[in-house]
Amino acid sequence: MTLGIPAAVTAAAEPPAARDRRHRPRRPALDTPRATRRAQTRLGIALVAPAMVLVVTFFLVPLVSAIYYAFVDFNGVNPNPSFVGLANFAELFQDAALWPALCNNAIWIVLGTAGPIVIGLVLALLMWGVGRSGALYRVAFFLPYVLPQVAVGVVWGWIYDPVRGWLNQALEIIGLGALRTGWLGNPDTALYAVLATAVWATSGFVFVILLAALRNVDTELVDASRLDGANTIQRLWFIVLPQIMPVFLMVTTITLVGGFSVFDIIFVMTGGGPAGASDVLGTVAYSEAFQLNRISYGTTIALVITLLAIPFAVCLNRLQRRLSLQGTGA
Amino acid sequence: MHISSLRASAIAVAGVSALLLSGCTGGAPTTGQDDDVVRYLIEQPEDASAVQALQDRLDGFTADSGVKVEVEAMPFDTMRTVLQTQLRSGEGPDVFNWGSGPGFGGVLAEAGLLYDLTDAYAEYDWPIYDFAKERVSFDGTLYGVPGEMETVGLFYNADLLAAEGIDVPESVADLEAAAVRLADAEIVPIAASDQEGWQGGHLLSMVLSSRVGSEGMDALVAGETSWDSPDVVASLQTWQDFLDAGQLPEFPTSLSYDGANALFYSGDAAMVPTGSWLISEIDDNVDFEVGYIPFPAEDGAGIFAGGLGSGPMISAGTTKPDAALQLVDYLASPDHGQWMVENLSVIPPQPIEADDLDVSPLFRQVLDDTAALSEGTGDFGYNIDVLMTDVFNEAMLDGMAAILSGQTGAAEVAASLQAAAEQ
Repeated sequence: MTLGIPAAVTAAAEPPAARDRRHRPRRPALDTPRATRRAQTRLGIALVAPAMVLVVTFFLVPLVSAIYYAFVDFNGVNPNPSFVGLANFAELFQDAALWPALCNNAIWIVLGTAGPIVIGLVLALLMWGVGRSGALYRVAFFLPYVLPQVAVGVVWGWIYDPVRGWLNQALEIIGLGALRTGWLGNPDTALYAVLATAVWATSGFVFVILLAALRNVDTELVDASRLDGANTIQRLWFIVLPQIMPVFLMVTTITLVGGFSVFDIIFVMTGGGPAGASDVLGTVAYSEAFQLNRISYGTTIALVITLLAIPFAVCLNRLQRRLSLQGTGA
Repeated sequence: MHISSLRASAIAVAGVSALLLSGCTGGAPTTGQDDDVVRYLIEQPEDASAVQALQDRLDGFTADSGVKVEVEAMPFDTMRTVLQTQLRSGEGPDVFNWGSGPGFGGVLAEAGLLYDLTDAYAEYDWPIYDFAKERVSFDGTLYGVPGEMETVGLFYNADLLAAEGIDVPESVADLEAAAVRLADAEIVPIAASDQEGWQGGHLLSMVLSSRVGSEGMDALVAGETSWDSPDVVASLQTWQDFLDAGQLPEFPTSLSYDGANALFYSGDAAMVPTGSWLISEIDDNVDFEVGYIPFPAEDGAGIFAGGLGSGPMISAGTTKPDAALQLVDYLASPDHGQWMVENLSVIPPQPIEADDLDVSPLFRQVLDDTAALSEGTGDFGYNIDVLMTDVFNEAMLDGMAAILSGQTGAAEVAASLQAAAEQ
């Protein structure tokens, strides 16, 4: 059948798919007694069941429930809310408070993602070669991330206090008194003041994760590129970043998706004010659902937040997985 | 044997999962951790020691009745945020103090979160003033016991005004003239704050009450007068003018309520616009003479905006209604009312023998004012936020914040108020 051609040559001439089919190992299940396979199936189901129960209970049921509420007019009391079809979704397009909030979300997503990534990466690169003494810095930079957001918001609220806050006092002392303002009560600065607090709190997390990724970077490649004349930026861009890219994307995904769902720190520091100037979709949804008793409309806004975040999360996740499978990265 | 052990492990896993889920999701709604204890949630008072004083007082009630009471205190802003959620979840307090009127207790009553006290009123015959009972009625039922009587106006530093040669303002023109002189002397004339947002409702209430009087306020609340009428626009414009003239703190929407009060206590501000609930704190914190006036009207002294503060209500989800009712009966009793006046500087909406009480002159003034209100001889305006709906209140608070942060003008805010009132 091989016409005198050595097997190795035949194999090489065949398309890879055909070769894979021929050499695919027999399924071990065929060698396994039926009773054992059933037992294995049961064990698999038993092991997966708790996770599935949790997923169904805490993800699918609330999701289906949210979808249901988006199509009715529920005020939190009426057990039989009337079906309103797409009315809640239609209202989204006429809600004057929603578009500025969405715009604030966009600002938050861009700056709230870029800020911690840049600061965290710079800090991680600075700390890359530092030995044991770096532990103190790692703890110091990571600490804000483990603090409750409410506590962070309250403390930064004091810092931003227009009368006794040290930010305005420091500006006064260094001769920049003209920049003094009511940071959280000024519609031009409120969102950015809260955002700065969030960046401060998140940068430490990015720093620690990226620093861990940098530990796995092949330093021989870095040294070789240095010998080849690559400058710092080139080494970072062509040698270091590709190696930590999956981790980099994972961190980017987390901070970016957090930008869609941001709520707590804004709620604590400004409540979305003054007069909605720092409102994001999360605070508008909360206000509608729990302050104005429009549970259905608030739920609809929350669904929109989810729908907006999913494509970004999925794309970044797929990219991260592809890079990991390619063997790129830490 | 192999299969049976797998089955056993599967059952065990399922059992653990069930236990885990039941632990995570909780069982039937319950309002208390301990079946013997009634949880009583109150707003964090200005004087922190008042919580302990109340707990001590209720320990006496426990000794007499056998009903254990655990007092919890929560800042007003936090309570406003979480109370409804707590009550809905079934994890809320059994009894809690909350404001009356459609914007506060009315919302909870409409949501079916409050225990109906109509029968309890008939049974216990609480001596609550009729006008106060009207504020805790919804759809023909009584859902709470109205709380403390309050007035909203201007506290002023009498020593500081005297030192600057300024007489106590008796009209808006006087107030404006005083504000100019105080600002020239680098003293904050009126320490208005709005960081928390709720202050905006009081600021509008005090100016509008003096401008249109109690009948005018009645007409506005009843929808007979439009909220974008010239008087409302002028009242909103008053605060915009003070802001533009630099007669308020530099950034009112960034200034907290406590921060504004601190400006007044330190003598950096001459006046602070707030309510009679602050009197005990003022008495404790200042060593200068303080006076208390209504926000002046165009043509005279004006009237106080009056209102009812927080009073006890029972959660509809309580598992201890009898014990909760016993507690509310105690809280609504004349004996406890007298104790509140003497110890907490709180005036309940019921007849009080106050002539012989040893209280500060400032508190005595409020006692006299509220007595006039209850006897029908005084003229009072309203705290708007307790009488209007949530939708209106949101428009009002956002509107005042917009004015005090320079985002919008008075006419625009008045139009948004009318639109909200029509919803």
